[in-house]
Amino acid sequence: MSAQPTPPDRTSDAAMTRRSFLRGTAAFGGLTALAASLAPLRELGDFTSTEEFLQKYYKEMTPADMAKALARIEREVKAQYGIRPHVRDLRPMDGVEFVYCLNLTRCIGCRKCVHACVAENNQSRNPEIQYIRVLKMPHGSMDVEKGDHNYDDKQVPDKGFFYMPVQCQQCANPPCVKVCPVNATWQEKDGITVIDYDWCIGCRYCEAACPYFARRFNFTKPEIPKDHLNPEMAYLGNRPRKQGVMEKCHFCIQRTRAGKYPACLEVCPVGARKFGNILDPESEVSYILREKRVFIQLKEEMGTSPRFFYYFDK
Amino acid sequence: MDPRPTRPEDGEGNRTKLWLGGLTVVFLGLAGIFLAGARSPGPVRADIPLVDPKFLDTTPWRQTYTDLVKAKEDLSDYDCYACHEKSKPPPIRFDDKGKIVIPKEHSNIVMGHGSHDRNDLCYNCHNEQNLETLQVRDGRQVKFDHIPLLCGSCHGPTLRDWDAGAHGRTSGFWDRNLGEAQRLSCANCHDPHTPRISKLAPAPGPHFLHENPAPAAPGH
Repeated sequence: MSAQPTPPDRTSDAAMTRRSFLRGTAAFGGLTALAASLAPLRELGDFTSTEEFLQKYYKEMTPADMAKALARIEREVKAQYGIRPHVRDLRPMDGVEFVYCLNLTRCIGCRKCVHACVAENNQSRNPEIQYIRVLKMPHGSMDVEKGDHNYDDKQVPDKGFFYMPVQCQQCANPPCVKVCPVNATWQEKDGITVIDYDWCIGCRYCEAACPYFARRFNFTKPEIPKDHLNPEMAYLGNRPRKQGVMEKCHFCIQRTRAGKYPACLEVCPVGARKFGNILDPESEVSYILREKRVFIQLKEEMGTSPRFFYYFDK
Repeated sequence: MDPRPTRPEDGEGNRTKLWLGGLTVVFLGLAGIFLAGARSPGPVRADIPLVDPKFLDTTPWRQTYTDLVKAKEDLSDYDCYACHEKSKPPPIRFDDKGKIVIPKEHSNIVMGHGSHDRNDLCYNCHNEQNLETLQVRDGRQVKFDHIPLLCGSCHGPTLRDWDAGAHGRTSGFWDRNLGEAQRLSCANCHDPHTPRISKLAPAPGPHFLHENPAPAAPGH
């Protein structure tokens, strides 16, 4: 309590000046700081159109919606890369379930599959995003903790080691799908777990849930040289991604749903990679699972039930 | 009674003005730093070289006789009787250690089929009566464009796997209703004289955005 009996003069110039000065400074400083903190949002603007923002969830799109979305993607890719791509929405085929088999006796660890995948699937070159990691493992162990994917040998294969390429295992019981809070990733009936890049919110729960480290996050805007873009694209496949979304191996949807082999298989110089329809008893993969020594699945104790099988010859 | 404090004395008023002036400078300075930070480009990324296109190449390592015929290329290597004489099988010579001597006309051949020189006799596969064909041990003659039959006469399980599509390289269509699959033959990958696939240089490994993590201590 003040001892002064007279009330303060609140109408005097001095009091108003100080108060308004304080308010003005605070407001100016605050607004400037706010504007500065919002400034990075400007960078997000260049690949998110209103049309994309209003686009529906993949499973709810009508054929007309999809045609519009594909036209938008073609337009945006043309604007960004100067190439008009051929974007399709390929659906799973009837009576087809894909399985991948990899022959650990044959693999020599040359990493050609890693780079063929990057070229086919339009992954960012800088920072590098790669779907396949080739683990160099000491003979006599299946412990992936002993694997090294940064090996820098002059020549491969190195004596005393075998090589185990790891990519998305296309699990029949995928933990990544269970944790997605927005259903932006799901398993299709041909066994491929796909991502709708326009629906993903980039929370990275799926990356944490995957026991195979198969999912990759676009921390920055992906960089692909214009003349390295693969124009043959699929909506759920290799169309260019944007900053802030997840991506992963999708068994080259743009090829395999058109009946072709995946890119990693075709480039493998030793024929260690085999791919096909497990529902067809005549397919290569059916033969391998029937006849070969199959090391069932990687980390099978996780209960993920991968569609990716490692096997041995002889 | 008014609970609010009275205006301070003149001396205190000056101090307040000084404080406010100082704070203004600090605020403006901070705002300037924020703005400069927002405008300046992000941290510079390390340059990652693009991968050598040779690592994306899908062409087979070798051309077989069939490929040469298809491509209408030079087949003079297969014209045996340009040099050899018909009905006169060329002799096989050995050095004093029992190793086969490759004549200088065939110096491009490196014999290394099987370990311990167990399979270095030319006529194990070539037909001495007709050099333009090959022969299986049971006497069947095989033309140069049907080599899987010859190779499979010893490597049965491999031929069985190859027939099923489980051995060897494949490309094209897995769905045979939509298109054809291209299968490679034995000699597209294996040199029949030295069939073991030699070591090769691997494609570059992943690049780090940041410094490499410290290598794990030995014993871990």
